[in-house]
Amino acid sequence: MSPPTDDAERSATDGGTAETATGTEAETEAATVRRSSNTFLGDAWVNFKRWTTKSVRNPFVLVVSLAQPIIFLILFTQVFGQVATGAISGPGGASISYETYLVPAIVIQVALAAAITSGIGLVNDIEEGMFEKVLVTPMSRTAVFAGKTAAEVVRIIAQMSIILVLGVLLGADIATGLPGAVGIIVVGLLFSLWFVSLSNAIAVITKDQESTIITMNLLQFPLLFLSSAFLPLESLPNWIQTFARYNPITYGVDAARALMLDADVMTVLDVNAFTGLWNAVIPGAAVLVVLDIALGSIAVYLLTQASSSSAQ
Amino acid sequence: MSAIDAAEVTLTYADGTEAVRGIDLDIPEGEFFGFLGPNGAGKTTAIKTFTTLLQPTSGSVTVNGFDVASEPRAVRESIGYMAQETSVDEELTATENIRFACEAYGVPKTERADRIDELLDLVDLAAAADKEAEGFSGGMKKRLDAAMALVHRPPLVFLDEPTTGLDPKARNRLWEYFRRINGEGTTIFLTTQYLEEADQLCERIGVILDGEIVATGSPAELKRRVGGEILDIGLDGNEPARERAATVAADSDLFEDEATVETTDEGISVTSRRAREAGTDLLVALRDEDLSVIGFNIRAPTLDDVFLAITGESVDEDGEADDGDRTNEHNEAGAAEASPAAADGGNR
Repeated sequence: MSPPTDDAERSATDGGTAETATGTEAETEAATVRRSSNTFLGDAWVNFKRWTTKSVRNPFVLVVSLAQPIIFLILFTQVFGQVATGAISGPGGASISYETYLVPAIVIQVALAAAITSGIGLVNDIEEGMFEKVLVTPMSRTAVFAGKTAAEVVRIIAQMSIILVLGVLLGADIATGLPGAVGIIVVGLLFSLWFVSLSNAIAVITKDQESTIITMNLLQFPLLFLSSAFLPLESLPNWIQTFARYNPITYGVDAARALMLDADVMTVLDVNAFTGLWNAVIPGAAVLVVLDIALGSIAVYLLTQASSSSAQ
Repeated sequence: MSAIDAAEVTLTYADGTEAVRGIDLDIPEGEFFGFLGPNGAGKTTAIKTFTTLLQPTSGSVTVNGFDVASEPRAVRESIGYMAQETSVDEELTATENIRFACEAYGVPKTERADRIDELLDLVDLAAAADKEAEGFSGGMKKRLDAAMALVHRPPLVFLDEPTTGLDPKARNRLWEYFRRINGEGTTIFLTTQYLEEADQLCERIGVILDGEIVATGSPAELKRRVGGEILDIGLDGNEPARERAATVAADSDLFEDEATVETTDEGISVTSRRAREAGTDLLVALRDEDLSVIGFNIRAPTLDDVFLAITGESVDEDGEADDGDRTNEHNEAGAAEASPAAADGGNR
């Protein structure tokens, strides 16, 4: 609907209101009904504010979704650190610590865990009736979801930054420095978007909090372990290597790890069109973008379906 | 222009449930209209169709002059909607909830602060303005929900069972607000399961059952169709005693031939406009027949009575419309034929 039409409708509505008004009081009231027109960015901003307020107010979620990755980071480096160093000394050249090797994987794990809460937020909204309430407002539905997703992106960036800082404090070394750290976060974001889409899609389908949480958690661990996240693929059984080839986590982790180590660590795709680490980062990012678009479209489709007719 | 103009609206869900089967409505601006019906009658489905949440399967709906199918956004701008389940964001404060609604409905920035204060006052939440809604009582949440539906001063407000689950005090308070905004010119479309609520608030009532409107009229008209107030008399004794009491009541001219008499599990039930005036005399007449009365009560007709009068169907405990629950009880009691056979003085 184009803005001019909207305005015409709006004044028509106001005209109608004035006609209804019988008493003087009602007439002055009707006259004060001047509404600023809703814009896409305005609507998105309103929803961004709402979701940001919610997550700031409820830091518990933020902390809990960070807790598991942090536990992984500490346990893995302490328990497997000694053993794993042998296995990883291949790809990155001479001597890299397991901390350095693991941090990019944990960043991806954070993106994964944070994305799960996106769907939970949506289910909460459906259960609380806020979803329907928002649908009855004149806000653009796309803007509503854009605002919510933007709020989640900001949160995920904050969480990934925390992990990077913590990793460096534990002794990890980002070979590409600050620009590399920013790059890792960008890769993490590209990675999170498909999982955000997936968790929202599952939320719309199940419309149930427990189902969403269980499904997403069930996916989380097999996906993490059957990838290049914790150990180089060469040191893993063949069937895992095969699975990892089709596992999005491998692409996210390899792209992030390439930036961490400043080396082409991607083994599942043999790209030599670029130089050095870009042979891993560019193909990895490309795969993630394709996934984002595919799952994003599915999620948008399901959300539009759910909102255009909420017939259960 | 009508606030709501619905013509032959039907809505069939994907699973084949025909929730609404041909509704015609014309609600003039400024009216307080009530949609009265049991659970599952199609009230919520109808309201969701009018508020653009559901697309009608067939038929057309115009709200404030806008077509719900082709101009949903214009409809949404011109209505307020309070859903059956209380919907507030519990992690936000009362003020933040109302502010969100203001922003969602495009209330200009310069007016927002005043509007928020005004609404907080209207629903008596000024004291809890900066508290998170999570700690609110059910009544407070409902009131906050109501405030959120009113931010843009919509000329038409939909209230889907707004007082279900509230205690009488909270309910009366909400009724006050609804009367006030209606008094200021707002059209109100309300659904309810309670005849009392419709009676208290509405100028006109549509009775909905199984997706169809079975009667429309003012509360007084509908109650007239029930035939007056109901006198329940409890009797000490068995079937024959109750049957005999029913005959006494039916044959007496105490009610001037305008009474419906039925036997119940406890005794008999007399529906008459003269229930109050003639009640005492009937009790005396029963005593004269050596029937011992163990209790009596005069009450206003309930939704159940209205349904029984209009459709001949009763409403069971779950509120689902069902074929003559009361008659079934009579069957068990072995007096099934007593009710229709009893005096029904040519009133219909």
